[in-house]
Amino acid sequence: MRRYALGVLFVLGVLILCGTGASAAKETLNVIYMAQAGYQPDDIRDMADLFEFLTDTKVNITFVKYDEQHEKIVASAVAPVATYDVILLDLIWTAEFASRKMVVPLDDRITADIRKDIAPAIMDAFVYDGKTWAMPFLANFQLFFYNMDMIRKAGFSAPPRTLEEMVDQMKAMKAKGIVKYPWTDSWNQKEGLVCEFVWLTGAFGGDTFDDRGRPTFNQGPGVQALEFMVGLLKDGLANPKCLTNDEDAAKDDFISGNAAFTTNWTFQYALMNDPKVSKVVGQGEMGLIPVSKSQIGKAETASVSGFQGAAIMANSRKKDLAWQYLRFITSPLVQRSYLQEMPVWTSVQTSAYATMMDRTMPIKSKQIAAVHHRPKVPPYPEVSSILQRYIHTALQMKMEPKAALDKAAEEINAVLKK
Amino acid sequence: MASYGRELDDHRLARRLLAPSAILIMLVVIAPLIFAFILSLHQAEPMVGGIEMKPVGFSNYSYFLTQSGLFWPSVRVTIYFTVVSLLIELVLGIGMALVLDADFPGRSFMRAIILIPWALPTVVNARMWEWIFSGSKYGALNGLMKVLRIFPSSHDAVWLGFDAPLAGVPVIGGFLKWLGVTKALNMIIIADTWKVTPLVVLLVLAGLQTIPGSLYEAATVDGAGFFRKLTLITLPLLKPVLLVILVLRTMELFRVFDIIYIIMQYSIRVVGVLTYEVGMKFLHFGRGAALSFLIALFILGLAAIYVRLFYSDAER
Repeated sequence: MRRYALGVLFVLGVLILCGTGASAAKETLNVIYMAQAGYQPDDIRDMADLFEFLTDTKVNITFVKYDEQHEKIVASAVAPVATYDVILLDLIWTAEFASRKMVVPLDDRITADIRKDIAPAIMDAFVYDGKTWAMPFLANFQLFFYNMDMIRKAGFSAPPRTLEEMVDQMKAMKAKGIVKYPWTDSWNQKEGLVCEFVWLTGAFGGDTFDDRGRPTFNQGPGVQALEFMVGLLKDGLANPKCLTNDEDAAKDDFISGNAAFTTNWTFQYALMNDPKVSKVVGQGEMGLIPVSKSQIGKAETASVSGFQGAAIMANSRKKDLAWQYLRFITSPLVQRSYLQEMPVWTSVQTSAYATMMDRTMPIKSKQIAAVHHRPKVPPYPEVSSILQRYIHTALQMKMEPKAALDKAAEEINAVLKK
Repeated sequence: MASYGRELDDHRLARRLLAPSAILIMLVVIAPLIFAFILSLHQAEPMVGGIEMKPVGFSNYSYFLTQSGLFWPSVRVTIYFTVVSLLIELVLGIGMALVLDADFPGRSFMRAIILIPWALPTVVNARMWEWIFSGSKYGALNGLMKVLRIFPSSHDAVWLGFDAPLAGVPVIGGFLKWLGVTKALNMIIIADTWKVTPLVVLLVLAGLQTIPGSLYEAATVDGAGFFRKLTLITLPLLKPVLLVILVLRTMELFRVFDIIYIIMQYSIRVVGVLTYEVGMKFLHFGRGAALSFLIALFILGLAAIYVRLFYSDAER
């Protein structure tokens, strides 16, 4: 009995000592971030280290794959106290997290000066129900990548300005045996497919959803976009592998010299020019995504946004500290130090320093101004899943594009009505 | 009297020793099961700090059985995956076990290395086959085809494609399309079978050890050949083992999730993938729970059929 009592006392003593130690330690902030596209884990850790040094705070960062974030954030939100104080909020989750009140609005913290220096196209991505739910952090969007050597070999002197010109160039390449499938893309049944469809619909002069979040993709430009995608496959211009490609696989196709054209997120640029992994160094170039010739004069280019913001969980106990951290990592000072990603601040994008350090900045600035957003609707994952399924079915040529999009719109309307 | 008292003490001791296990099982198995069933009777959605629940009776169940356009196609494709995988695993497993049961030099070594695929974690197995089937020129299978000169150097096959096999063949093509069979699904069956067949081999091998050699000797004297020995001695005496394999593998195959999700994400919606999508991606916890119980019912039904078939046969 005595031995038992001594054991209990020992455990209690250790617990008390640990508790005292903990209370004397720095405050801890828990953050979740993706180890995938965008700022890389080492960069994020560097930013956190500096914040720790400046504020005497300990920052724990959990790195996960993009696809795992949503589930982990929801689990954190359902818990009485948040597992993560700061999360990365993809613009497609804005409506969902806001309507479930999982994150806090930041309107009283984001000042007029901040708003003035961030383009409305970026800021609006995180506005839902009249409130701003995240501070813009990562300005990701798609750009056009082309192989200039293949274009020259096909008998052309410049990259295409329109989708129709691009098709002509691809047909010439195929006829001359320069490349078997000139187009590659990420058309597997994932979110990436919706992104491709969004910019293509934009390139034909439309949007996939209206301002009130109702589907419009089954009319004019949306149908033209899907018909264009199916046409590329039917004519043997797009690699059939596209249907199983994600963005990474599409990038591999391009940088291994197996494609002349593709669109992808900003991350492809650095890899395309890295001789360790790329076979198209000096041949691959980045430019503006072409639009349909019917749009020339109305729009020079079109793209899709993949913006990510930093948000504070509603059940976090350290909201003020979380804001300090969030404000720090999204600050112009930090973003100008990591120019491999597009800064969200207009003043940084247009600064002499940024233009000098990154010669593609003018292209990026033009492209980002032409982004189209995916819809801000609370059941977005379900809406996107339906759209992915029917677009993919049409790409497999099991349904006609118009019929597939009509069916998708019908099912999406049913989900939105609930 | 004294022994009766000691018996009582023994019972009390047994109860006390078992109590912690019973409480643990209640907490980690029974209670979550009850909670999941309650969840399946609600429209349950996550909100900050908890789950918002609204009772809806059995409508989550009826939604899948009568309204959802995804449930029955996913059942069909799961049944195809389960049946074809099981058949391949059984034929290969029994065949390999018969070979490993024979006496030949290096038998112990072969028995040991055959377990390597089974020892691999499913995630590793899935990623490995994803690279083997990769449609780019970096795909190992495409590389092999080129080395063997089956494919020209410029050709890369899309192994995980969505074309239906035998699509042009009347009746069969239409039936396979209705089942939701694709080239990718068949490729994943190969990948899954590669990993799990060693387990079947191991179990069948254990069963083979229990069959007395005298039966085969007597059959040989009677002039029975390999096929008659197999059908009249080996397979009937393997029935208990085969029942275990069938029940175990049917359960695992019917609720398959990991290998299909890792390689194809949501492109092949077996019921496991659909459940994850509904529950964890769309955040309809109630519907996800209902779907889990429907899968459990399917598996229970299949297990009951197996048991009835095998045991009633044994009783005759």
